Amino acid sequence: MTIYCIQMGMLLELSYCTEVNAGLPCRNIIGCWKGRIDILSFLQERFSPDQLKQIFGGLPKSRIDRIIEGIQN
Amino acid sequence: MNRKIDLNEKDIPKQWYNIQADLPHPLPPPLNPGTGEPITPDMLAPVFPMNLIEQEVSTERWIDIPDQVLEKYLIWRPTPLYRARLLENFLKTPARIYFKNEGVSPPGSHKPNTAIAQAYYNKVFGIKRLATETGAGQWGSALAFACTQFGLELKVYMVRISFNQKPYRRILMETWGAKCVPSPSPDTNAGRKFLEQNPEHPGSLGISISEAIEDAVTTKDSRYSLGSVLNHVLLHQTIIGLEAQKQLASIGEYPDIVIGCAGGGSNFGGLSLPFVRDKVNGKNVRIIACEPTSCPTMTKGPYVYDFGDTAETTPLLAMYSLGHSFIPAPIHAGGLRYHGMAPIVSRILKDGLIEARAYTQLETFSAGISFARTEGFIPAPETNHAIAGVIEEAKKAKEEGKEKVILMNWSGHGIIDLAAYDAYLSGKLEDYMLPDEDIQKLVKDLEKFPKPK
Repeated sequence: MTIYCIQMGMLLELSYCTEVNAGLPCRNIIGCWKGRIDILSFLQERFSPDQLKQIFGGLPKSRIDRIIEGIQN
Repeated sequence: MNRKIDLNEKDIPKQWYNIQADLPHPLPPPLNPGTGEPITPDMLAPVFPMNLIEQEVSTERWIDIPDQVLEKYLIWRPTPLYRARLLENFLKTPARIYFKNEGVSPPGSHKPNTAIAQAYYNKVFGIKRLATETGAGQWGSALAFACTQFGLELKVYMVRISFNQKPYRRILMETWGAKCVPSPSPDTNAGRKFLEQNPEHPGSLGISISEAIEDAVTTKDSRYSLGSVLNHVLLHQTIIGLEAQKQLASIGEYPDIVIGCAGGGSNFGGLSLPFVRDKVNGKNVRIIACEPTSCPTMTKGPYVYDFGDTAETTPLLAMYSLGHSFIPAPIHAGGLRYHGMAPIVSRILKDGLIEARAYTQLETFSAGISFARTEGFIPAPETNHAIAGVIEEAKKAKEEGKEKVILMNWSGHGIIDLAAYDAYLSGKLEDYMLPDEDIQKLVKDLEKFPKPK
């Protein structure tokens, strides 16, 4: 099963979206797959609440955030 | 009347316009959450040359475009302004529609307007090479073109899965002399960490950004380059609007409405900021930023200070954001997928100088198809948002029987993004509207953060 990912500008398999984040899902996975499959149930079956919180909790990093983070590192 | 309104090379604008001189309220500075104090220019020095950092914080109204940059701009600038007569006829509108064709640049978009400038300023600062990241390759190819013009080395960290499966932009970059490597790469600590976990790691944009910044910070005579969001990026893009003002003046026109698509804000700001200045000075012009309904940062997001990461340790930026529980829906407009808009665009929206409009994915592609089948040019997916805005206003003009003048930034062509059109034409795209109750929940999430004055 594939989807066209606008962030990457290409067709991607669902497996990419579920593992891209060091084995955890992309934080955009719910919005991207919501219309195609029961993505919430899919995620709840495969990931623990802590893992889901790790992905979907907090704020996404913008590019400027990542720049500052890179400098600080 | 000519379909194309050209500007003579000798009349190309010689200065960029800096909106920071005319903002009714100055931009709130990015703050260091550790100290609550503004981030100082020297904190950014490891990644950007000081001449660009100075532009980032400058409040001078006009900034001279160096001759060496103008020489390079003349490769494709001034860009033509088109009267979209065929689209007007298709819509049966009394409106006169003009579009500024930024797709004529070598990489096919507005992005080299800042890529050329950034390459130049790095060069004169003594920088020998740049590093950047790219997903599908739009920014990477623009910067590769710019670097080859100024004899700078460029290393592009391209997300591995895109590197392997989307060769055309990579080939563009390599044709222009850039070194393009799949990310994660063995060349950085960040890359090696992920490769140790999985030697076949497909990569992600986040990893590529980390690699590019690490590269720039740790390599002698190197800096990092970014193609959106920042003030100096929008500054360089104002040549679009400044040219358009001259072109329209040459035929005795002035727009009633200026329209652009807004992602990181650079192409929207590029066309609109000179007209925002006119508006500040009393001109009656409406300026509309178009965004996707699935990522409504301007039409539904609150203006707040927003934290940048989960640990809440990065600087606070005042920008429109939907907050930390927002997850964008599927959209086919790569440049538009940002949680936060450029601070300048957020500020002028808050000050009522511009308005924002959101369009569904299907509306935007339908608009893009109408444009392609009348005017001929195939727009980039993000450009379709602006076209949707133009069509809505042109239909409104028809209903009202008014001869409005509409100006749009046609920010790039979609020839290398045809997969998105294929998905649309084969019925694979779906619309998604963030429900109001979800929006209200997100707004509540942000209430704990301090609001800028």
